[in-house]
Amino acid sequence: MKSNRILTSAIAVAVTCGLVFAGTAQSQAAGKKLKDIRIAAVVKGLDNPFFIGIKEGIEETALKYGIKANVQAAPGLNDDIGQANKLDSLAGQNFDCYIVIPISSNNLSQGIGKITKKGKAVINIDSPVDAASLRAAGGKITSFAGTDNKAAGKAGGESMVKLIGSGKKIGLIAGLAGNVTSNARIDGFKLGAAGSTFVGPVNADWDTTKALDAANAMLVANPDIAGFFAANDQMAQGIARAVAAAKKNIPVYGVDGIADALKEVKAGTITATISQYPYVMGKMGVEACIIAAQGGKVPAQTITPYYVIDKSNIDKALRNTSTRGYFPNQSPPGAYKNPYTKLIKKN
Amino acid sequence: MPKGVTESTASAKAEAVDSTRIKKLQSKLKDPFFWSDWLVVIAFIAVIAFFGAIAPESFLTLYNLNNILVAASIPAIIAVGQTFTVATAGIDLSVSSTMTFGAVIFGLGFTNGWPIWQCAIFSTIAGLIVGLLNGLIIAKRKINDFIVTLGMLSVAAGAALVLSDGRPRQIISEPLATLAIGDVAHVPYLMFIAIGIVVVAHFTLFNTRFGTHVLATGGDPDAARAMGISIVKIKVAVYSISGALAGFAAMLTISRIGAAEPAANTAILLNSVAAVVLGGVSLFGGRGTIFGPFVATLLLQSLTNGLTVIGVAAYYQYLSIGVVVILSAALVRTDK
Repeated sequence: MKSNRILTSAIAVAVTCGLVFAGTAQSQAAGKKLKDIRIAAVVKGLDNPFFIGIKEGIEETALKYGIKANVQAAPGLNDDIGQANKLDSLAGQNFDCYIVIPISSNNLSQGIGKITKKGKAVINIDSPVDAASLRAAGGKITSFAGTDNKAAGKAGGESMVKLIGSGKKIGLIAGLAGNVTSNARIDGFKLGAAGSTFVGPVNADWDTTKALDAANAMLVANPDIAGFFAANDQMAQGIARAVAAAKKNIPVYGVDGIADALKEVKAGTITATISQYPYVMGKMGVEACIIAAQGGKVPAQTITPYYVIDKSNIDKALRNTSTRGYFPNQSPPGAYKNPYTKLIKKN
Repeated sequence: MPKGVTESTASAKAEAVDSTRIKKLQSKLKDPFFWSDWLVVIAFIAVIAFFGAIAPESFLTLYNLNNILVAASIPAIIAVGQTFTVATAGIDLSVSSTMTFGAVIFGLGFTNGWPIWQCAIFSTIAGLIVGLLNGLIIAKRKINDFIVTLGMLSVAAGAALVLSDGRPRQIISEPLATLAIGDVAHVPYLMFIAIGIVVVAHFTLFNTRFGTHVLATGGDPDAARAMGISIVKIKVAVYSISGALAGFAAMLTISRIGAAEPAANTAILLNSVAAVVLGGVSLFGGRGTIFGPFVATLLLQSLTNGLTVIGVAAYYQYLSIGVVVILSAALVRTDK
């Protein structure tokens, strides 16, 4: 696995150097042949497994289509300027298309503006670039592929009601106060589980221990709670511990589909996780880029898939690893909508 | 023949001058301090030459060199402030969150409809106050610089989160955007600002009494005290300079990313410490230049840029940058 990665990187370096030596005489106009396409990607910090998943999705999809991809990451979790510098460094080169995931909704806008001025396409995945800052910088996003957090929460709510019945009491544990993602997931869940009584949401700041404490307190105050929903998997892990300690047998739901949570779903301590698919986001980013480079019409926006992973499909999810074996639950266990693949010209 | 005599004495004199020059040069070349001052320049040229040779068509373009200058501007300003604290044998670990704190203050002002210049003054003052507190606590309570500023790193980050409620504030302003992307003859505005600060700082450190006192405080605090230099005043001053520059740099950061972010960017701290060490400033104080850390900042940014341009995978970049920092630091080491 490791030597493979080193080899791939070595090849990538060699190929890039070779290309540079070969010169930049190639035409930059749209309508390129598949094998001549070069794309660049700037993702968030790789200290989060979610973005490693995206990176793998980009690299392996590029490999599959036989195109060259230069994937760069922000030097650190909060290094917004460092990430902007990376995009600036790549913007001057002869890439056909750029994939971006901004750390904050604004920090890459100026770089995107530079790319747009050169007439190249920019595909935005995962976290959206802010429209106002993009306008101010003169930038344009050709296509966006990301999750609908509200819909993911709603799917969780519907699934839980199916399990426990309607009109029951459900405890809600949210992430950081005021966080957009957390709010969307909680609001979505409430919508999906409409008719139930809700306790909370209590903010546990995405943290396992804080969620454990919060769930304990909620269980003491409301012994009749029939289920828990957490806005991410780490918090669901905390709740699961509180529920086990209270000797209750009630469902616990999380969101994200991280490796640890999948193990707990398998073990039965967490009932279900509404899984997102970073690998698929990376894949869609590459495919959108190819369409743009070939001069095709790229769908402006795509909702990436989410899936409720529970006892019924956990085995399939765990087996479904990426080619290099790092990321479990690489793609959804069932069908999902990908408007990009069929638009790629295979020449 | 008087003419010949004069000629011969003249040539002898010239020879003597030449030989003393050579001797001077020889002794200079043997002086480790000379190398610590110039090695960073040599390393910088080597990095440029290396990437220039590998990827002449993408690295050595005016566009890309402009990128490097843009990327280096803000870290260079922070490194200048850091040089002052390290010259007194201190260190300012709070710079990154001081900058964040300044940015949040800027954001608060902007949301209240203040003009940009007023926001900039307030963010600079906010940074200055953080620095002032650092200096006062360090000097008055005689607590280690490292501990105080490490604590302040957290305090300023917390204050920034409290004041902003953890939310970024979008700042869209035409003049700020122009500041970030504009240039004169391919030299970005941001770099002109950084160079201006470098020149003023150089003058302050080497041509004023204050500068001499800073170096004396770092070199030998007891002797400095005996000479009647107030260590308290000097410490307060250097940390205030570092804080104020961080607060000012906050505006430049906002100009680049279009928002006042409440999350601290620790990369800027690590960068400033690395630049100061690579720039030949002694961590034991008393010795250093402003020019060295400035070139070191250019070196570090060229390295990151070059690795990205030639397409080195992200994982290997961490590795290579770390190795270069340690290697160069080992070469420029002059402390006993």
